[in-house]
Amino acid sequence: MSHDEIDRILSHEEELLPSSGFAASVMGAVRREAAVPPPIPFPWKRALPGLAVAGLTLLLVVLVFAAEATRWGREATNEQISVAWMFRLIPIITAVTTRTVAWTLLALALTLASVMFSMRLAGRRT
Amino acid sequence: MARLDLDENSATGQSSAQSYQREASARVSASDDQADVARVLAGEVSAYEGIVRRWQGPLINLAYRFCRDRGRAEELAQEAFLRAYRALGQWRQDAVFSTWLFALATNLCRSELRRIPARTVPLEDVAERCDPRAADGGFEDDDRDRAVRRAVSVLPAKYREALILFYFHDMDVPAAAQSLGLPEGTVKARLFRGRELLRGKLPQLLGVPRLKEA
Repeated sequence: MSHDEIDRILSHEEELLPSSGFAASVMGAVRREAAVPPPIPFPWKRALPGLAVAGLTLLLVVLVFAAEATRWGREATNEQISVAWMFRLIPIITAVTTRTVAWTLLALALTLASVMFSMRLAGRRT
Repeated sequence: MARLDLDENSATGQSSAQSYQREASARVSASDDQADVARVLAGEVSAYEGIVRRWQGPLINLAYRFCRDRGRAEELAQEAFLRAYRALGQWRQDAVFSTWLFALATNLCRSELRRIPARTVPLEDVAERCDPRAADGGFEDDDRDRAVRRAVSVLPAKYREALILFYFHDMDVPAAAQSLGLPEGTVKARLFRGRELLRGKLPQLLGVPRLKEA
């Protein structure tokens, strides 16, 4: 079979006609698609400063702990390290707990204030 | 439109009147498409119906050539229209709308058929299904044509896709290359190799002993 014959056969294929309801069915799907509200994009601009601060804090904590660990490692033997860890951790844990409670209280107060403020705003609009 | 015969780069035997008519109608539909797209992007969803009505036939036929199943072809065409609607804002108007639409539909057909392949029959079964000789000893044209099309459907994907799009676009290599997102040279090479593979399979299909090539 020659190339011309292959060309003739493959280029003259019977044309299919769309079924009668095809366009209507596509338009139905398109209208449903159009009726769906677009997804709300993530507010990167607003979130970015917070994310940056969180990242920096995390980095700072890691660096401080790494520096402390290196210093203790140089200063003491293995036995001294375990005792030193105990004594040094107690005040840290106490301070962290106190600070955490303070921050938690502050966060709760802020949340309450923002909820009340937004409810008040919503009340004014309605 | 740049047409190319794989063997000798010659133009096909199409009259200039037909060619002029086709180009004129392509220009009209291109401007209609552009206007409809602008209206859809402005929020008039119903304007999309013009695009669907203009391109439903070609898109269904394109999908059918990939899957050889009418029902699935309509599903693929519908999904292609839906994806085109979602991505309408991404159409850069440096290419004709239909080129963009065909490229999108081609990608969809290729990926869907990789996910769920079309039901194909082995080459031996194709040969058995069609009666190789008619009563008068000659091969029935319809059977032979069907056998050739089935032989295309069992070619490796990259050759099959090149052949499908080349013949779908009336043997237009640049159009096939744009739909596939490949350089023209790659498409030409795949077409050549695909047709050679096809020629190799056809004697087996048609029940004719293959001639020893010189």
